[in-house]
Amino acid sequence: MLVVDRAGGIVEANDAARTVLPDVTGGDGPYENLPDWLTEAHRHMTGGLGATWAEPPSGAIGGRHFEAHPRPGADGDVAWWLIDATDRHLAEETLRREQERAAILSEVSSTLLSSLNVPRCMEVTARLATRHLADAAVLVAPAQGRRHPVTYAQAHGPAVRVTRAVDPATVPGLAEALQGFPPVPTRWIDPGAIPAWAIPEGFEGPVGSVTVTPLPGHGVPAGALILLRSSTVRAFTESENVFARLFAARAGAALSAARLYTEQAAVTATLMQELLPPALGGVHGVDYAGGYRPAQDSERIGGDFYDVHPGADPSQESLVVLGDVAGKGLDAAVLTGKIRNTLHALLPLAHDHQHVLNLLNAALLTSRHTRFATLVLVSARHRAGRVRLRLTSAGHLPPLIVRADGRVEESGTRGNLVGAMPAVSVRTEETVLAPGETCLLYTDGITEARGGPLGGELYGVERLKRALAECAGMPAEAVVERVQMLAAQWLGQGRHDDMAVIAISAPRPRPLTVTGGDMHRGHSGNPGRSGRPGEPGVPGDPGTPHERHGRSA
Amino acid sequence: MTDFGNATADLRKRLWEAVLDGDAYHATDVLHQGLDAGLERETLLLGVIGKVQEKVGREWAANRITVAQEHAATAVNERALTTLVPPAPAPPSAGPNRSRGRGRVAVACVEGEWHAFPARLVAEVLQLRGWQVDYLGPQIPGPHLIAHLHHTQADVALLSTSLPTRLPAAHAMIAACQAVGVPVMVGGRGFGVDGRHAGAVGADRWAPDARAAAAALEAGIAAPGPRAARQVVDDLPHLADQEYTMVVKSRSQLIERTLAGLEEHVPAVRHYTDTQRERTAEDYAHIVDFLATALYVDDAGLFTDFLAWTADVLDARSVSARCLVPGLHLLGRQLQDFPRATILLRHGAAAVAARPDSDPEDSP
Amino acid sequence: MITPPFEFSLIVTAAADVLTVEVAGELDHQTSDALVRTVVGHLSPGGAAFRRVRLDFGRLTWIDSMGLSALLAVHRHAGAVGVTLHLDSRPGFLERLLTLTGTLDHLTTTVTTTAAAGDPVPEAEAG
Repeated sequence: MLVVDRAGGIVEANDAARTVLPDVTGGDGPYENLPDWLTEAHRHMTGGLGATWAEPPSGAIGGRHFEAHPRPGADGDVAWWLIDATDRHLAEETLRREQERAAILSEVSSTLLSSLNVPRCMEVTARLATRHLADAAVLVAPAQGRRHPVTYAQAHGPAVRVTRAVDPATVPGLAEALQGFPPVPTRWIDPGAIPAWAIPEGFEGPVGSVTVTPLPGHGVPAGALILLRSSTVRAFTESENVFARLFAARAGAALSAARLYTEQAAVTATLMQELLPPALGGVHGVDYAGGYRPAQDSERIGGDFYDVHPGADPSQESLVVLGDVAGKGLDAAVLTGKIRNTLHALLPLAHDHQHVLNLLNAALLTSRHTRFATLVLVSARHRAGRVRLRLTSAGHLPPLIVRADGRVEESGTRGNLVGAMPAVSVRTEETVLAPGETCLLYTDGITEARGGPLGGELYGVERLKRALAECAGMPAEAVVERVQMLAAQWLGQGRHDDMAVIAISAPRPRPLTVTGGDMHRGHSGNPGRSGRPGEPGVPGDPGTPHERHGRSA
Repeated sequence: MTDFGNATADLRKRLWEAVLDGDAYHATDVLHQGLDAGLERETLLLGVIGKVQEKVGREWAANRITVAQEHAATAVNERALTTLVPPAPAPPSAGPNRSRGRGRVAVACVEGEWHAFPARLVAEVLQLRGWQVDYLGPQIPGPHLIAHLHHTQADVALLSTSLPTRLPAAHAMIAACQAVGVPVMVGGRGFGVDGRHAGAVGADRWAPDARAAAAALEAGIAAPGPRAARQVVDDLPHLADQEYTMVVKSRSQLIERTLAGLEEHVPAVRHYTDTQRERTAEDYAHIVDFLATALYVDDAGLFTDFLAWTADVLDARSVSARCLVPGLHLLGRQLQDFPRATILLRHGAAAVAARPDSDPEDSP
Repeated sequence: MITPPFEFSLIVTAAADVLTVEVAGELDHQTSDALVRTVVGHLSPGGAAFRRVRLDFGRLTWIDSMGLSALLAVHRHAGAVGVTLHLDSRPGFLERLLTLTGTLDHLTTTVTTTAAAGDPVPEAEAG
């Protein structure tokens, strides 16, 4: 206990207080021998605020931790009872640090697990390390070929990622960490021996201490983390090293998951590239547009397919194919790939649809299953402003033809599906498109879309024909988009099958041009973009463009 | 600027004529003449193409062009647009590469949104300004967008919708982007002309137009923190009252009963053809969808704005908007146990009934 | 083991040399395997010697392309063991699908003429 007067002079101190504060009475000026925290508390008391704090003031005195409890006395004196709270304080301190570390680890996990992008995971790891562990962090990933991706971060700076040829052996413990050996003790690492490449550019001051921690992965190391502190900061303690390893374990797990995902996504993307529908545009004076929506929205491919194979020159027919393989998803998509490749190989025979279909049938027949395909073949050729079509359905929904006056005709072509029966027999039909007329090929995903305002109803061919009647004179891509949009609106949130549509249109002639045929190609723009679905637009309006009220019709 | 102002007004007029005529060649010529006259591509994109596209929507709503013309005009306008923009730099086939340009962004429409033109314009403008842009188009399912973000390490995702009814879907997509550490900027009329719904569905930024979007990107948008992974109800606690859920789940039933009620109370409806009945059902489907959305974002204005817009569209087609009133009352009766929905429908019906009637004979 | 939706059911009746399978509900990608397995199981060597398989579609509510694939598979298995397949009580949508895909003749391979729509039981031989 010690009594302090209003001015900060020590009036009295008992034996215990003298033991704790040996110099307590030897000073000359006010507050001279009181610890700062107690001085501040005393000023708080005497400054008129009184003992208004929630927790008693506390602080360090001679390596131990004390709480101070005030008793106001006469003339503004305050008697301070000092209570040794070192053990409790230590326990609290440890608890707080553990809680802090748990919070950091939790943040590390949720931040890292949110991304499956490897470079981003590396950046986040390096940045978090500088926030919580060190002045600078260098994450070295396993070599890709002879180079290592290296990510640098410093406190308050951005993360920088480079790929460079570095020798891990130049940093003590790094080669071992990258090979999955246990970490080398920090004290073995000479900060002065760290090569320049392992120090972020602009790192202030000489390196004071270094630790190298492996990032454990799925059985193989996901990389190693070099943590650096400048010489003005204290060295890494053992407890900090333990924490760094916990941190590295989280980061390594996240990084490995991201790497696994990336590798698998790359494999999938490569395999799917061949199965994606092609971009379409104008070819030899005929306009083509296509749209595809696979059944499973998490996949980009499915059992419907289409292709346009341009004729060798404008005098030759182009071959359009649209089809539907029984089933959905990857299994179906793989079969579409086989069909598309086979048809591509059979192009020289495309003048005889029945022959092509029988060869395709033979190629698909297998004793293992009866998975079949239905398809439509259309041979198209532009001549003198019109487009001549030969249409053949192999067990598929017959094409619909939208005439310039809004009539919608159903082609009379019929035939057997392919891939399940010994032979295919078909009836081919011919027709001619005048400028502005369109032939639509579609799969049953459109007409069998279930939904509508009352739910559960099939969209049906009749609705499709009514919708097409309004599409007379529209460009091919607008027709495709209109059909896709109506089917999507009909479905609402409902489950659906694969949906594919192709429109073949005879373009309206350009006034004041000399030749027909190919002039259109010059304007079809960037071919990579022309296959994108376009859009109907009322962007300027807050509502939906929907069909009008019955009574207005 | 005045000279260019006059020039763009002239180009707008001529582009409008070309798209209305369905003439892609002429439309392309008009734009290239603008380029030759020294106009910036961005000015042509926003001041000519964008304005003409807005006019397409306005003219349709005013019943001055048909649905077919609207689609054809849009297709022509887009085809002309593609010839204006220089080919994009080769797509990064070998994964992310951040060394080039300003950064990388993904531009997509909210799932179920078909009006991609505004998003397309934003994508082209950003590309002109040096951003690496992945334009994902109008039909992208949420999981594809997220896979794309994982793959490309995009700095920002830009989502567009012109339809307020896509707000719940937008909310889910925004939360999904943020949960993988990518901030989201939104735009389009669906978020309200003043962007007031953007915050409700958790967007990091809202931009009124393409230039504002570019400016916001240039200023930088911070990545969301680890707390970005969340449930939608945390953003919109009023959803706990289940009114939104109930309206969405009973959508078909609500529409069916409203139609049945109309047949009972409005003699004209009894003589509708199947097609007329289906279109009336579709109209009420839209009303129920907007009601649900208004409940979702808890904004009565969203519902009344839609009714006012519908009324304008009906007026333009010489149909009295008052024909909506009995249907709104019928919906209100079915939803009488839901206080928020009841108030929305009551106010909506009152607003429609208070409109000056342009064609009293058609009133039921 | 697939779990067909509750609407789908197969009722199998074996009488003398005829195996009758009543197919009710939706025959689609989720349920078609069950039909093939059921019929093939009954036609396996060592089982009863059936001469005909009758598939009764009187209570069929929907069929998709995988359902048709299943019919083709059943037909192939039946033909392989010399058993005749009959498709009874075909609803309109099934008839239309079989006509559109050109499979009606193949699946029912009538000796005389093509079965007209509505003709419930065309006399058939295995193809």
